[in-house]
Formats: sequence, structure tokens, C-alpha cells
Amino acid sequence: VRPLEGRKIICCVGSGGVGKTTTAAALALRSAMEGKRALVLTIDPARRLANSLGLRELGNAETRIDPAHFAEAKLSPRGEMWAMMLDLKRAWDELVRRDARSPEQAEAILGNKIYQSLSTAMAGSLEYIAMEKVYELYASGRFDVIVLDTPPTSSALDFLHAPDRVLDVLDNNAMRLVLGPMLKAGRLGLRMLVRPSGLVLRTLARFTGSDFLRDLAEFMVAFEGMYEGFKDRASEVKALLSSERTAFVLVTSPNPLITQEALFFHRALEEAGIRTAAVVVNRVQRDPRRHGGPDNLPALKEALQLAQIKDTDHLAERLCETLTDQAILADLDRREVERLRRTLNGVPLFTVPRLRRDVHDLAGLWQIDEYLGGE
Amino acid sequence: MPALLDRRLVVVTGKGGTGKSTISAAVALAAARRGKRVLVCEVVAKERVADFFGRPPSGTQIHELVPNLYSVHVRPRESMREYALMTLRYETLYRIAFENAAARYFLAAAPSLAEIVMLGKVFWHASREMERGRLRWDMVVLDAPATGHGLTFLSVPEVFLRLVSEGPLARDMRLMQSVLADPAKCSICVVTLPEEMPANEAIDLDRALRQRQFPAGPLFLNGAFSSRFSAQEVASVTRSGPMLTAAGEAADNHESRAALSGHYEAVLRKAVPRELVKVPFLFERSFGAQAIDKVSRAIEGAL
Repeated sequence: VRPLEGRKIICCVGSGGVGKTTTAAALALRSAMEGKRALVLTIDPARRLANSLGLRELGNAETRIDPAHFAEAKLSPRGEMWAMMLDLKRAWDELVRRDARSPEQAEAILGNKIYQSLSTAMAGSLEYIAMEKVYELYASGRFDVIVLDTPPTSSALDFLHAPDRVLDVLDNNAMRLVLGPMLKAGRLGLRMLVRPSGLVLRTLARFTGSDFLRDLAEFMVAFEGMYEGFKDRASEVKALLSSERTAFVLVTSPNPLITQEALFFHRALEEAGIRTAAVVVNRVQRDPRRHGGPDNLPALKEALQLAQIKDTDHLAERLCETLTDQAILADLDRREVERLRRTLNGVPLFTVPRLRRDVHDLAGLWQIDEYLGGE
Repeated sequence: MPALLDRRLVVVTGKGGTGKSTISAAVALAAARRGKRVLVCEVVAKERVADFFGRPPSGTQIHELVPNLYSVHVRPRESMREYALMTLRYETLYRIAFENAAARYFLAAAPSLAEIVMLGKVFWHASREMERGRLRWDMVVLDAPATGHGLTFLSVPEVFLRLVSEGPLARDMRLMQSVLADPAKCSICVVTLPEEMPANEAIDLDRALRQRQFPAGPLFLNGAFSSRFSAQEVASVTRSGPMLTAAGEAADNHESRAALSGHYEAVLRKAVPRELVKVPFLFERSFGAQAIDKVSRAIEGAL
């Protein structure tokens, strides 16, 4: 894919179930074939694809795809392909352990209920840790290209605002002010003695109870001293993502609901000053009528006769119905792809036809490359 | 155990793009046809059900779409406000407590507060008291959000109660938990497609739902393709020269898709111990009231 030449980081974004993981793996494969050290970072449990790449477990270690797998697919890459399945919760824990000033601080954070919900449930937190991991791998200089398959639940806003959101939760001056006495007590280990005070806090406590606020205060106390490091890196992550080194690839299917989300994502990127590098539309129905030939009932009957095929059990009717059905699907898809093309005016757009089988191996991935502008 | 259409609350879960809204609308329509008063609550970013019936969006006000079938769009911001006002009673107090920078922070850190208040709103509808001797709604259909698994949404009470054990929200969460666990009142359905990722996720979702002992409703297999040609027919048509190339490709495409569909149907039947309701793929140029009607008639026998 030409628009991706020279990029160090490729983020595949889009709704779940549109073939994001497959597209990400195909893009990494292309780079490896061209002689690069390419890493695909996947989050989705697309097990069969992972298995076919020789990855069996969810773990945060990068694994090289065995050259034997390439040989089986009759491919001889000039570079290397690596893959990693990210366990996001674990990535968060590792980050905390790495950045904490002492093992005690790390334990205090890891055991805190607010941290636990933040690292697994808060909007944007998974996106943030995925990007953080990309940054870490990029900074290590071990790979020429890193392709990120984003979390399936990502909405555009979660993705782009993730660093700010996470930073805001880690350190929020307004909340500090409101929690004031509770923070002080937390530092002194006096949590049980202080009740929420002040109108705001007392009102919030009516919704959640005061234990929650104590946990919050404890979390803020536990995190003290780590914030600066987080903030610095978050701004580097942001800078990297919006630089020319990073390409965002929108992956979608021709389903109108899904393209709507893709367009929403595109606009959100635009607002953040990031250009969409390419759009990949997967599973586009091909129109059988492109071959020409008869598509109405009398003509099909005649063609069957000429080919000496018996028209048993209404074969001609079934063929006619099937041609019509697929023409409908092809028309719908074409209309949707055209709409995308018009709206994304100028962004390179690639369509991958609906394949006869699911892609489960390197050979299948390489077959997709043909549609992604490969030769 | 009561049939699906006799439950008070039917929750429709599944990943995005599987046709949750379609199934929600079709289930609701089947119930409405039997004379039940049904409310569809859409908790997704963009409401769709009204549009299926050619009606303008309902927004946060309940609107009747067809006789006995109503819909409402449940949105986080409005729900939060309504909920807070209901509890606090004073607008000023709401403003002081919630419209400040600290509260924004609080809302981000509190586990899924947006989901909580939305679920609360749905429950409020579901438990609305009698009106002229009759329940306001015979059935509430919750079109659950697609975020990850709809499971996140249903687990909200549990997650919340782990963090927060006192206060009005905790009390409401306990009530919701008890309804969500009651097979006489509630049923949790799963929608999926005969494709790899949706099927895998449906299997995970089903397992997680059963582990948490949510009352198991049917598994809707949406967009099921059935075979139309024998392998022999496909082979003879594809081999017979340029006149039949298009027809041969169409038949071959259809059969390969039907084969995939059949494969994932078998996988799902084996892995998911729920009643599987097949919803045939519809070849329609536009998806409207007619299509919903077809779907609802295709499934109603199983409900």
C-alpha cells in the first residue's frame, strides 16, 4: 500500500468485526515481504488467525512468526514478521510496576479498587495502554514497522482522547481540592477517621457512598510522584501519533452502519489534525453480472439447454434468483463504497472482495495483499 | 418457565453490526401483534428502531411507532441529570454537585456511571406502575449497547456494588440485580452472525452470561444462508463456458457463503446451550418496516 510507505506505525482503526485484525496482519506481512522487521500487535482474540501465525497464548511478549510457516505458504520474506497479542490489563500492571518508585507504591496502586476499574473498565484506558505499548516498542528501535490492531470496542473519541482522559483521572486539581482533607488523611493513613466534607463531596457521596471517595483519595495518594513521568510520556505518545511517522488506516465493511462509524472516526481524526492515510473496505460483494451473459429466466433456460445441463428442480429459477440476489448486494455495496469515496475525497481507498473462505493462514493473508495495492 | 414474549424485560445483546436493533424491533413487533404493550429502549449512540418503521426518531420522549409498539432513546447525559434530580430534588444542588470540574473527574473515575444511570432509566420504565388497572408496559425490550460485549452493561450493577455499597445508587443496583437474575421476569438474548468473529464472541458472551447466571434467552443467528445448489450443479454450471460464467459465479458464491453459514451454525449449536433461532438472510434493497415484519414472522414461532 503506497500511502503507507515510510511510516513507522500503522494504526488500523474501525468497528469490531470488519476484519481489522486480518488487515493489520496483511499489512505487517507486506512489510516483512519487502525486507522489513514488522510487528503486528493484536488485541482481539482472533484465535484462529493467531494460531495460524503460530501464536497460542495471550501474553505480552513479541514472537517471531516461524519461517517454517512461510515456507508452508510458499512465501519467502526478505524481512521478518513478528506478532504480539496484548493483554491490556497486564500491560497496565507492568507499566505501574515499572514506573513506581518502590515496590510498596506499586502494590498500593495495584491493590486499589479505583485502579482496578480504571485499568479495565474506564473508557479510553485500553486504548491508552495499547498506544503506550506501541510507543515503548517504537522507542526500543527493534522494529521497522509496527502495525496496531486497535481494541474492538474503540470509538473514535475514546481513541483520540485516551491520553487526556487518563491523565485527567490520574491528576485532577479540582478533585484534589474537593477531596482535600481526605487526601491529607490518606497520606497519614487515617482513612477511617475522615468523612467527606463540603457540599460537593457530600452530595457526590450520596450517590456512591463515602467508601468510594476514600478509595479515590487513596488512589490519588498512592499515585503521587508518578504523575509527572506519566504525563511526559503521554505527551510523547500523542506527538508520535500525530506525526508523519504514524499512519491511520480506517478499516470498514460496506455495511452502512459501519461506514457511518468509519466516517465519524475520519472526522474525529481530522479534528485532531490527523489525516487518514488509507481506507480499506473489506467484504465487498462482487457483481456476477460483470461477466455478462444471460441473467433473465428465459435466457438462462436457453443457456442451460445449450450447455446440455438438465433444468431439474427449477435450476434455472434458482440461478436467476441467485443472480438477482447478488446483484442487489453488489449494488448496495457499490453505492456505499462510492459514498465513502466521495466523502473521503482524496483518501486512497482499497476494496477487498468477500472471500470464499475465512483467512486463517499466511497464504490467505498474502492473497489479500493483492487488493491492498500489492503487485 | 414463561415464553420469551411473557417476560417483563427482554435484553438483546451481541456485538455491533450483528443486527441487535433488527432483532429487538422484530421481537417487540411479535409481542405487539399479540396485543402486548411494548416499549423498546435503545441505549446505543444512535437510535434506529423508529427509522425501521419509517417514523422520526423518538428521542428521549416515548413515541408510538405502530399500534402497541413504542420506542425511546436512553442517553447518558439526560439520564444522569434525571436520575440526579430525582434523588437530589433541587436543580441548584444538582448544578453545584455535578456541573463542576471535580464532578467531571468523578464521573470519569466512577465505574460506568453513564451505563448505570441508563440501565436505571430502563428499569424505571420496566417497573412503571399500573395505569388504569394495567401495567404501563407488558414488555420492555432493551437493545443493549455493543461496547465489547453487552455484558459490560449487564455487569454494571455487580461492578458498581463491588466498589460502592451504600447510597441510593447502590440500593437501586441491588434491585436491578435481582430482576436481572429472575428468569420469570427477565430474559437475556444473544444475537450473532454466521461468521467467525461474531460466532466466537457469541460463544464467549454466552459462557460469561451463564457464569453470572443471567436467565438464558435464545441465541438468534441472524443472516443465516441456506444452500440452494448441489455441489454437482455448481460444478456443471461453472464448467459450461462463457454463457454461464455469471450464473456459475453467483451459484458458487452463494454456496461458499452457505457453507460458511452452516459451519458456524454447527459450531454455535455445539458450543452454546441455548435455543438457536435462525433468522434468514434478507436480500432487500432497503431495510424498513417490511423487512422487520418478515424477520418477526420468521422468529415468532420460536418465541
